[in-house]
Amino acid sequence: MFVSWRWISQWVDTSGVDPVAFAGRFTCTVAEIDHVIQVGPGLENVLVADVIGVEDHPNADKLHIATVDLGGRTERVVCGAPDLRLGMRVPFVPPGVTLPSGITVREGEVRGVRSPGMLASEADLGLSEDHTGLLSLDGCTAPAGTPLLDAVEVSDTLYEVDNKSITHRPDLWGQYGMAREVAAMLDKPLQPLDLAVTLGQGMPVDLQVQAPDLCPRYLCARIEDVTLAPAPVDLRLRLRRLGVRPISNVVDATNLVMLETGNPLHAFDARFLHGQTIRVRRATPGETLRTLDGSDRVLTANDCVIADADRPVALAGVMGGEESEIRPDTRTVVLEAAAFDAATIRKTAMRLGMRTESSARFEKSLDPALAATAARRFLGLLLQVSPGARITSGLADVGPFGSQPPAPIRIATTSTYLRGRLGVSPAEMADAWIDHCLQALEFQVDRQGDAVTVTVPGFRATRDIRLAEDLVEELGRHYGYQRIVSKAPLIPSRPPELPPLRRLERDVRAILVQRAGLTEALLYGFDDEKQRTRLGLHEPTADGGDLPRLGLRNAISSEMSRLRRNLAPNLISAIERNLLTGDGRQASKKGFQVGMFEIGRVFVPVPDRTLAPHEQAAVDRGVPALLDDPTAAATYLGRMSPEMRLGVTEAAARATPLPWQPIRLGLVLAERLGGGADGAKTAIPPQEVTERLFRTVVGALEAVAEAAGLGGLTVTRGDLSQPLDLLRLPVAAPDLGATWLHPRRHGLIRSGDRVLGVVSALHPAVRQRLDVPAEVVLAELDLGALLQGERLVVRGGAPPTHPAVTQDFTLRRPRTDRVADLAAALRQVAVAVLPGSVEAVQYLYGLDDATGANPERALTFRVTCRAADRTIGSDEIARLVDKVSARFGVQAAPGDA
Amino acid sequence: MNQATPSWRAELHALTQDWLQRIALAADLAGLRELEVASVGKKGDVTALMRRVGTLPPEERRDYGAAAGDVRTQVDQALADRKTALEQAILDAELADDTFDETVPGLLPKRGHPHPLSLVQAEIESVFSSMGFHVLDYPEVESEFDNFEALNIPSWHPARDMQDTFWLQDGHLLRTHTSSGQVRAMQTFAPPFRAVFPGKVYRYEATDASHEHTFHQVEGLLVDRHVSVAHLLDSMRTLLSAILKTDVTVRLRPGYFPFVEPGFELDIQCRVCGGKGCSVCKQSGWLELLPCGLVHPHVLRAGGLDPEEWQGWAFGLGLSRLVMMRFGVPDVRLLLSGDTRFLTQF
Repeated sequence: MFVSWRWISQWVDTSGVDPVAFAGRFTCTVAEIDHVIQVGPGLENVLVADVIGVEDHPNADKLHIATVDLGGRTERVVCGAPDLRLGMRVPFVPPGVTLPSGITVREGEVRGVRSPGMLASEADLGLSEDHTGLLSLDGCTAPAGTPLLDAVEVSDTLYEVDNKSITHRPDLWGQYGMAREVAAMLDKPLQPLDLAVTLGQGMPVDLQVQAPDLCPRYLCARIEDVTLAPAPVDLRLRLRRLGVRPISNVVDATNLVMLETGNPLHAFDARFLHGQTIRVRRATPGETLRTLDGSDRVLTANDCVIADADRPVALAGVMGGEESEIRPDTRTVVLEAAAFDAATIRKTAMRLGMRTESSARFEKSLDPALAATAARRFLGLLLQVSPGARITSGLADVGPFGSQPPAPIRIATTSTYLRGRLGVSPAEMADAWIDHCLQALEFQVDRQGDAVTVTVPGFRATRDIRLAEDLVEELGRHYGYQRIVSKAPLIPSRPPELPPLRRLERDVRAILVQRAGLTEALLYGFDDEKQRTRLGLHEPTADGGDLPRLGLRNAISSEMSRLRRNLAPNLISAIERNLLTGDGRQASKKGFQVGMFEIGRVFVPVPDRTLAPHEQAAVDRGVPALLDDPTAAATYLGRMSPEMRLGVTEAAARATPLPWQPIRLGLVLAERLGGGADGAKTAIPPQEVTERLFRTVVGALEAVAEAAGLGGLTVTRGDLSQPLDLLRLPVAAPDLGATWLHPRRHGLIRSGDRVLGVVSALHPAVRQRLDVPAEVVLAELDLGALLQGERLVVRGGAPPTHPAVTQDFTLRRPRTDRVADLAAALRQVAVAVLPGSVEAVQYLYGLDDATGANPERALTFRVTCRAADRTIGSDEIARLVDKVSARFGVQAAPGDA
Repeated sequence: MNQATPSWRAELHALTQDWLQRIALAADLAGLRELEVASVGKKGDVTALMRRVGTLPPEERRDYGAAAGDVRTQVDQALADRKTALEQAILDAELADDTFDETVPGLLPKRGHPHPLSLVQAEIESVFSSMGFHVLDYPEVESEFDNFEALNIPSWHPARDMQDTFWLQDGHLLRTHTSSGQVRAMQTFAPPFRAVFPGKVYRYEATDASHEHTFHQVEGLLVDRHVSVAHLLDSMRTLLSAILKTDVTVRLRPGYFPFVEPGFELDIQCRVCGGKGCSVCKQSGWLELLPCGLVHPHVLRAGGLDPEEWQGWAFGLGLSRLVMMRFGVPDVRLLLSGDTRFLTQF
């Protein structure tokens, strides 16, 4: 949207105001200006010329030589424009002038003919993009040789306003509305629009509004003896400056009035209105209309059309029909000036993908009163631009607005309230200033002391201004927000809350970065279907189907059509990419390790079955829950307007529980294995690598558990094909049947008997599909569940008085024996020998033979004992060694007791 | 007086010389310790001399005792001297040694890398937290009510087009802004309160270097009695100065957002040119930073509050954009790429 400073200066005295300097104030008061454009500079030396001779160029078919009269002298210049003709008036650019378009005119020869100057197109002069022909100055009355800037309306300052900043202001979609704001800013009067026009008698056509809900007002008039011609040069130039292409006097008049008032108009050729009839109605489903852009439009019952006796002739408020458009031989014009329902226009324009200057305005909720202003302005203008035309009808005015005009909006408030919201004192903003400011914006003000009743003008009442808060904005922006002295809020101070989960997130992040050396990633909430298919990642149900994921109605692509229910798939894709590229410090080659984690939400649809109590608690019930208690609901709804109350109760009725959105921790650690051949990818990764990665991940998780204040974690294998007792799982634990989990190289992570998540080597079937040979270990757990694990109670006791004694044991065991089981068995023996004195049984290290041929491995454990009342003697240790030997058939490791 | 020197004198002399020589030759402290045990230890040679006194004729005993004591004194002295010398030598050797390499790298494991969004978010949370704001977290899959209806954006409202929305098959949506938490916060906390809620938001739009369908925002909300534009100005200036770590000049200009009235675009004075106009601020001297305003009475009502009694201010700050400004990130899509070549810089 452009604002023409020259145009608005017709109604406001802007003398002495520098429009460029004023732009900053305008941005802070009215609407955001993207660019300030000055038209005129660079055209000072361009002259008006009359073409008094045209001859062919001797050496070129497409060029001519024009002889032009410059008032007292003539010049012969070469011209290539196809529309050059004798008697035409054109702009002449003398040599040495550099135009705004960047062209510098030089005196020189064109194909052997001397050419001291140039005849210019609009594009040459920087007035538009049009370089198809000369700028025609026909109709300009200034004598030849007059400087262009003095002869026609060219120079101007344009504000290009960001349309987004006026979506809520239907009144600002016309120059006059902008002028009103500028007048208020300058504290100058605003000249009224001249609405005087002599009308004829009778109805212009047989007119009915059959859909009054879609069209509150429809005005119509008939104009005969119209002569189609170009509009006067000044009006053509004005349209150009505001970005509209001139077409003919009639069409240009509709566009000029739309730009001026903000109300779009439409002109029909009366010959093509069957039955001289206009019906404003809903389209019948399937009905078609060829709009004047040449496209056939299929309509629905939600579209509003203008129809004649037989068929639609215009898509109301969006675009006219092709057949009834104004043509060069049009003699009788039927004018439409109407108001349409904003939502209807918006939906039609969106559905058909045809946002026009007209629909953009109607969808802002225009004031129906404006339609009459626009109609009168058009009729006045048309009589000027088409001499001889006659208005042969009255101005028909049909629709509910005319018969039952809506009551004006009145806002009762107080100066105290208005000032209070801005935070200014009566000394800073007096009552008189408030009244004056609102009146300048055409509000009617009725004051009784502090109390004030403000009547909203129609052009602000359709949507924009309803409440005292809206008046606060009017006063604030015209007072100047920069003048408001800032004040610290007075609010009782109270220690702020940080939800425990949020705190845990921070602690977990710090530990994984600082202690585990992992890199944090944040990934999309959408699954990547392409990667899932390629790598075979999915979450099967027991019967072979897929667990449900939340689907999008309007996905950007089919590859991003569902929300993730586990973090692992996106992490696996990401780790694969990073294994291929390295991490920016190291290239990826054998031994390259990359580890990353994500803390983020996953989305799990609420199942159809009845929810268990712990699941029910996790469901967000939103609005309906608000309305559960009738007393509270009455207070809640009682404060709302009827319209809003309806909206809220309808929303509540529609509402379904939100899906579960637990915050998970996902962690993945990978090491690149040797070679690139398929052989390396299909081989079982060295056990040393798997064990090292696995232990690193478990170590990181133990540190996380410690940060959460848990006593410890246990990691033991489960049967992933069997569903676990759901009550032992948090509501949305990671899916334990997922295809990326390794059935024999994983562990369920438990605190007490509650499963928090899982740690696992990547399933070999997935691993072998990776584009790079690597071992990958990943873990995923529910952060919320971590908060519900068994807490460690911290106590500050005195240091022990007696020393601890340690004894190491090396057990040679079958490789299928688990360290945790052996440690537990060892503890059992130790406790039997030294009741109450066993402090710890730790695994120290294991020795395996590298070939894997030996079915046994050697595992060393350390038993630490301490008694509260004595130093444990060597005889007691000797008994321990005996018992352990008897149980496991081994000797104590030497040299420790 | 005695012409014949008793035989033990020569013997004591020889013994003394022998020990003094051996002690002088001791190469290290361990060897010296052995000599000490062998000489003056419980079973040592020198200790044994004293025990021999009883075997001598009585007239010689006194002289012998004195002489043996003298031997003991000399040997003790020699041991002590040699010990001092050996210790000094060790000290000298350590101080003279020049082979230690202080340039070998440290031993702690290398730290990892937090995500830049987490870094900036943590900073913002701590600034707000220190000023009494709760730090809250709300769902990403939202109801139409909380994302639109409650924020004074009914279904017919054009503002719904301004924020192209991802709709889910179950009728919910992916929140288009963190403002969806405003009414939730009002329903949770008794006023007055102040809170920020950062998080991921989603827009249905094509991506390029400066547009992403998933990005991060932080919402700020304050509810109190008698809240005015003057308070908003003060809070914004204070908070933004703390976040941007420099005194900022702010200005408000009219901006339209259905859930605030009056609504503003807040600009900060360009810090590159100090407001004179440069290419960064497109010659205007100002940079658009965030939308804000006084909470619309409809929103307060939807939150269960009486707008006659309670008012508030709210703002929405683009975290992703702030991260890009802070670290000079050229492409917003890098943030959620999961590319460690990008992430390990932080």
